[in-house]
Amino acid sequence: MDEFWQRSKAPAYTPVPRSRPEDSPETPLEKAPTPELDWGVVDQRRYFSREFMRLEWERMWSKVWLLGGREADIPEAGDYIVTEIGPESILIVRQRDGRVRAFYNVCQHRGSRLRGCGIGTTGASLTFKCPYHHWEYELDGSYHRIPDIDTFPQGKPAHALSEIRCDTWGGFVWYSLNESPPPLLEFLDPLPRHLEAYNLHKMVQTRDITVEWDCNWKTSVDAFNETYHVQGIHPQLLWYLHDLDVQIDCYERHNRYLIPFGTLSPRVRKPPAIPEPIKTIMKAAGIDPADYDRPISEIRRDVQKHKRAFGATQGKDYSRLNDDQLTDDYHYLIFPNLSLNVHADDFWIFRQRPHPHDPDRMFYDIMTFELVPDGQEWPQRAEHKQWKHGDKSIGLVLDQDAANLPGVQAGMHSKGFKGLWVGAQELRIRHFHKVLDDYIYGPQGKPAGAL
Amino acid sequence: MDLGLRGKKAIVTGATKGIGRAIVELLAGEGVDVALCSRTQEEVDATVQALKRQGVNACGEAVNVRDGDAYKAWLERAVAALGGCDIFVPNVSAGGGFDSEKNWTRNFEVDVMHTVRGCETLMPHLEKSGAGSIVIIASTNALETFGVPQAFNAMKAALITYSKQLAQHVGKKGVRVNTVSPGPIYFDGGSWELIKGTMPKLYDYALRQIPCGRMGTPEEVARVVAFVASPAGSLMTGSNVVADNGFTKRVQF
Repeated sequence: MDEFWQRSKAPAYTPVPRSRPEDSPETPLEKAPTPELDWGVVDQRRYFSREFMRLEWERMWSKVWLLGGREADIPEAGDYIVTEIGPESILIVRQRDGRVRAFYNVCQHRGSRLRGCGIGTTGASLTFKCPYHHWEYELDGSYHRIPDIDTFPQGKPAHALSEIRCDTWGGFVWYSLNESPPPLLEFLDPLPRHLEAYNLHKMVQTRDITVEWDCNWKTSVDAFNETYHVQGIHPQLLWYLHDLDVQIDCYERHNRYLIPFGTLSPRVRKPPAIPEPIKTIMKAAGIDPADYDRPISEIRRDVQKHKRAFGATQGKDYSRLNDDQLTDDYHYLIFPNLSLNVHADDFWIFRQRPHPHDPDRMFYDIMTFELVPDGQEWPQRAEHKQWKHGDKSIGLVLDQDAANLPGVQAGMHSKGFKGLWVGAQELRIRHFHKVLDDYIYGPQGKPAGAL
Repeated sequence: MDLGLRGKKAIVTGATKGIGRAIVELLAGEGVDVALCSRTQEEVDATVQALKRQGVNACGEAVNVRDGDAYKAWLERAVAALGGCDIFVPNVSAGGGFDSEKNWTRNFEVDVMHTVRGCETLMPHLEKSGAGSIVIIASTNALETFGVPQAFNAMKAALITYSKQLAQHVGKKGVRVNTVSPGPIYFDGGSWELIKGTMPKLYDYALRQIPCGRMGTPEEVARVVAFVASPAGSLMTGSNVVADNGFTKRVQF
């Protein structure tokens, strides 16, 4: 072993105790076979080429299922969500019969948007009136009223609002711009089996933030798809999680990793006191760190046991979760653009949306949810907020990610950069690009010389 | 200057890491036989081995000092193993914490009561020494406000008061009692490494309070402790020696 290798190799560690697959009530724990992906560089032009951006739109964004919003936000007929993806704006509407339907958010008269982005309601009218000339549509997209229809010799258009495919799963509304997409559950497979054990429907939204970031949407996806960067830009988390003993599972198009929380990284020395970040986990579970006399290495298991024993008395039902799920971060990528940090008491969705026309920009949505204990009043959901990169803090860890990414994006353009050198800790990034290629280049595979 | 430590016998609590470890290493280097404890047997064994390599008699056990009876029994065993006790350095601390009322119980039981129990248990042996000396490790957190109103700061203050009173009480028996109050001390695996990693703003703030911009090392504290503990420090009793690299701003008349 040469000196470089000695300086550089990852620290040895004792594996963290894990729940066994047979002890997991619902969420599969089996390690998925590691996909055979080559170790070549990932072409950096995929992150800024306008041609590649166009291919992504035509062959991927227009084909997949995308997260539209939360069903609980549109409980009544006439409640709606307007969400944007790339150049398109989508209107998701609760129907009179309780179903949900989705349409391109565009008036068939002169192309005006019917509603601005966000959540709203038609109120008692149960119609959408275009703000421009007051063309008015029913909830099902048909025409309710066109002012002065007698002045249109050609009559009303044969087509009404353009409907798109829409379905629900997990308390969320999903839509697809694909006219004949696979069934939603087939697209999400196998993740519904993984995620339904969590009490997603008992969680209230606590943050709803959109930040415009100066990077490609994939630069942001990558940032949440590996734990290798923890030692780089999140040093404080080394006293909070195990960044090396991480199980990575790649499925057909989605993937996940399982990160032990409430434990120390082998990169740091055993400290003389319980680190504050781990105290946070203990306190949330109801364990007083000041009354805890066991080694730090026992905390993760003790928190699991404590939550298992006292969850019910705190109004929290953990019966469908395995022990590891009571502490650890089960982190899923729902292709193409949802990073899910799923925990027993909360879950966070980070959604990356491409900019309408600039591959060097994107929209980063933070949606966090917290379990409302049984018997407690359902709190008001958080209001949506939006700002630009760096204008406000989104919390220390995400600020560290955000601050880093514009530099990464700028570096992608550099003549001196020869492509992404992606390692085994970053397997999910490689898998993500493989799935993207499957969409863009189809079953024939990527032609020689293509991006 | 000869400190006059050669052949003396010292008991130091919490001596496998940081300040405690530096104290026993330095004392051993001066020819002092040492008994020590900490929570972890392997760490005790490793430290004892390291001290023996310096050619002194050394022994140690894993002890939880919150357990008063077990702790006192160990002290007696340590005295027997050393064949007496000239120097006692109660160094164990429960550390800072602002989590609940339990922090007060914890710092009281660990910082205060292990010191008090140790002094009372060892006093007959220290009296026999002729050069008996207790050096209690306090903190500058007792002297000036720092951080949050936590039990650690107040319990360290209690130790300084206790030390002064005890010095008056046992002076006629030839036992000296002092405290050393270190400022921020940085070492691998220490509190300030943890703070630097998890609360970098607090670390930077503390560093800015130190005129020369450097935290102390355990070895620097150990040298102060060794002097105060040694026969060379014979004029000192009832003192609180601040060793903080200028961290505190008060004037100590």
